[in-house]
Amino acid sequence: MHMKWRIITCIIFILILDLVLPIKALAHGVKIEYTVNMAIEIIAAYDNGEPMGGAQVTVYAPDEPSSPWLTGVCDDRGYFSFIPDTSKPGTWDVQVRQAGHGDIVHIPIGEDMVVTGGTGGYTALQIVLMAACFIWGSVGTALYFSRRRRA
Amino acid sequence: MHIPDGILPGPVTAAGYAATAVVTWYSVRKINQKENPRQDIPKASLLTAAFFVASWIHIPVPPTSVHLVLNGLLGAVLGYFAFPAILIGLFFQAVMFQHGGLTTLGVNAVIMGLPAIIAHYIFRIRRFGNQESRRKTGIFGFLSGAVAIGISVAMFVLILLTNIPADLDIGTERAALYTLAIAHLPLIAIEGVITLLLAVFLQRVRPRILDGV
Repeated sequence: MHMKWRIITCIIFILILDLVLPIKALAHGVKIEYTVNMAIEIIAAYDNGEPMGGAQVTVYAPDEPSSPWLTGVCDDRGYFSFIPDTSKPGTWDVQVRQAGHGDIVHIPIGEDMVVTGGTGGYTALQIVLMAACFIWGSVGTALYFSRRRRA
Repeated sequence: MHIPDGILPGPVTAAGYAATAVVTWYSVRKINQKENPRQDIPKASLLTAAFFVASWIHIPVPPTSVHLVLNGLLGAVLGYFAFPAILIGLFFQAVMFQHGGLTTLGVNAVIMGLPAIIAHYIFRIRRFGNQESRRKTGIFGFLSGAVAIGISVAMFVLILLTNIPADLDIGTERAALYTLAIAHLPLIAIEGVITLLLAVFLQRVRPRILDGV
């Protein structure tokens, strides 16, 4: 009888020990947590296609448009990426600047988010057409003012 | 050479517009003092088109590339017509190519237009002294083209150096500006040669075009 109680006490002690001490070898439960982080990738190039390697990047959050939220530098390919704080929905402004040249891109974060975007709104064909119109306008002006007056 | 929107602080762009307004007024006044102010409009119109297209012509200067400006050429051939011509060209470059900007139009007009007027006076030196010769036209044509772009680059770098925002790494931006200025040194020679060739060509083929300037 005494022996029986000793065994029961021993089993209870082992059970308590098992509950209290986290023994790794016995942990079979798995817990995975995940957070979706949306990174914004920026590729900056001059209008002749040359990448803006080493250009300085300044990121402005929507709640504080006057002081930078993040600053960084483009790599040799003109590439820069950052993870915006999604708790601040609105338009994030990213300025890329090098030697007085640069541009600002406005990136909406939140409901009206778009996957891709950029600056420079016209296609090459539109630009050529507009330039041709301007040149024709100039030539026309020159012809108008150089016409000979009829007697 | 064209400063885009968002680079310069508001007061600087406003000062640029104010200076441009004064110089435009003075240029138009000088044009109106001519015997026939409309006579040079065809020439100004064609050279405005040339100025407008010139910014498309890129010249590779490793590690970067530069584009033609031709402000010295406009100053030499057009005189006071050069400033309004450059202003109109810059406006359309900003609207159509996003080359430069509308807020910085005044500053850019000063950077490129004022040296054009200086180029005009340099080119006029050829008339002093003895008979106007082809050699003198060539020398002062070269000088007007070269000096104008040289002054423009200096003004561009100076305005940007004095207005680097505190958020940026000032050392890096400064180094980038110096690199850009050095990259423009060959352009000084190129624009000088282009102005020389055009001035000599015009003097040989149609000297009347250079009569008024």
